[in-house]
Amino acid sequence: MILVVAFLVALFLLAPILIIIPMSFSTAVSFQFPPPGYSLGYYRAYFTSHDWLDPTFNSFLIATCSMALTMLLVVPASFGYVRHRFRGKSLFNLLMMSPLIVPHVVAALAYYGYLGAVRLNGTIAGVVLAHGVLAVPVAFLVVCATLKGFDRNLERAAMSSGAGPLRTFFWVTLPVLRPGMMVAALFAFLASFNEAVVAIFISGRDAATLPKKMYESIRLESDPVIAVVSSLLISAVLFGVLLSVVLRRKPANVP
Amino acid sequence: MAGQLTASLPAAGAAAPARAAEGQSVPWLLLAPATLALVVMFVLPIGYVLLLSITDPALSIAHYKRIFSVPLYTRVLFNTFTTSLTVTVACLLLGYPVAYVMTRRSDWVSTVLLMCVAVCFWTGFIVRTYAWLVILGNKGPVIGIHQALGLGPPPRLLFTTFSSTLGMVHILLPYMILALYSVMKKIDPNLLRAAASLGARPNASFREVFLPLSLPGVVNGGILVFTICLGFFITPILLGTPKDMMISQLINQQIEELLAWGFASAVAVVLLVATSVVLAVYNRFFGLDRLWG
Repeated sequence: MILVVAFLVALFLLAPILIIIPMSFSTAVSFQFPPPGYSLGYYRAYFTSHDWLDPTFNSFLIATCSMALTMLLVVPASFGYVRHRFRGKSLFNLLMMSPLIVPHVVAALAYYGYLGAVRLNGTIAGVVLAHGVLAVPVAFLVVCATLKGFDRNLERAAMSSGAGPLRTFFWVTLPVLRPGMMVAALFAFLASFNEAVVAIFISGRDAATLPKKMYESIRLESDPVIAVVSSLLISAVLFGVLLSVVLRRKPANVP
Repeated sequence: MAGQLTASLPAAGAAAPARAAEGQSVPWLLLAPATLALVVMFVLPIGYVLLLSITDPALSIAHYKRIFSVPLYTRVLFNTFTTSLTVTVACLLLGYPVAYVMTRRSDWVSTVLLMCVAVCFWTGFIVRTYAWLVILGNKGPVIGIHQALGLGPPPRLLFTTFSSTLGMVHILLPYMILALYSVMKKIDPNLLRAAASLGARPNASFREVFLPLSLPGVVNGGILVFTICLGFFITPILLGTPKDMMISQLINQQIEELLAWGFASAVAVVLLVATSVVLAVYNRFFGLDRLWG
């Protein structure tokens, strides 16, 4: 009985998402399901349209840069936070977590005014700065958790065997922490790639990201190409989740 | 970064054997970049909103008075609160059985359910909102079936409180399930076996043992979903109606249509305070780290 309920809820979660994939092969000029006919027309439209390809490129560029920014901030901070005691530690933690506390629409409004004042609205740099900071909490949580599980004796052993601090860090510390760091980086990338609200407010026309373009195409024109973009994104997620299930079968892959 | 890291490592390494000395060495170099970035790129922008809310167009608290006295705006606040509560309760009712089955079964059932939740979780808000636009739309399957059965004129599904609530439940349900699951999987199954061996029927052992132990997950998931819902932007705007606005719709309208920076900022501050109060209460009793751990 409860099994049936659980599967019905799972169906409620999955079915609306899967319905989009046949939509992407549709011939209809608006959102119609089931589709009246099937063709690859909207795929051709997507892959030949700068209106869609430019935001796609922007999204990848912004997500990659903001992931790098997030990791540059988070990795040193996690080492400082986990391995040292200092005054104001809980205040520092609160600061690192603050982007999770503030609703995104508030942050979006704040960036819109603040970045506008320094003329960074509608630029790639502006979106990267905002996204890079917004992804800090998630990456910080993951890296700190990894670091807390790290056995400091490994470093002491390396040092007492004559390795210098540099060598110890690059040959012992970093390799052990690598899986956790990669998960943190992936989360940071996806946080930027999927982020919509801040991007809608600040990315303007030239730096428009994919979620912003999708939002506008729904609001303004009901462009069916959005079904193609959505299907590609869903396929990527399906692939990633399947991959993680397969990898999880092997031991020592989950941080 | 590498330079900074390694530059401070000798200090950490040298201090390691003597724990007393470890507390003395303050790792400012390690903490400085993140602190600077968060202050300049987060605290200051939010402070700017606070400032605007009382200085634009002139120094006063008139915006706040308006929010809490004009019926149009108090209705927005009330509507945001009730909608968030509805979504939270719906997510809990739908999510609990899924998380329960995921915990109690260790075979393919658990894997399949977890995959469904994960796919949904990682698919962006916009994509899932778009899916509901199709499903509830005039040319969608629901209206189609309704017409095929000859049930009269098609009901208005889209751009109502119903559609925006449904969309938010769908989007936030994975958060609830994962929050419940992460607490439930830590419940020792031996406790349930012990209850059974002492003569408790399945219903009783669930009620007396499993349910109380899963309550922290219920609180976590509830707080998580409720606070996200308070400030939810995409779905209310794309699926909802301006007649039953939520706070984020009001902010968007004030900026997009009226360029009323001061008032929009004041509404944003009210939203921020409301969210912070909920989280502060949670922090008082449970500790915030538990929420995201």
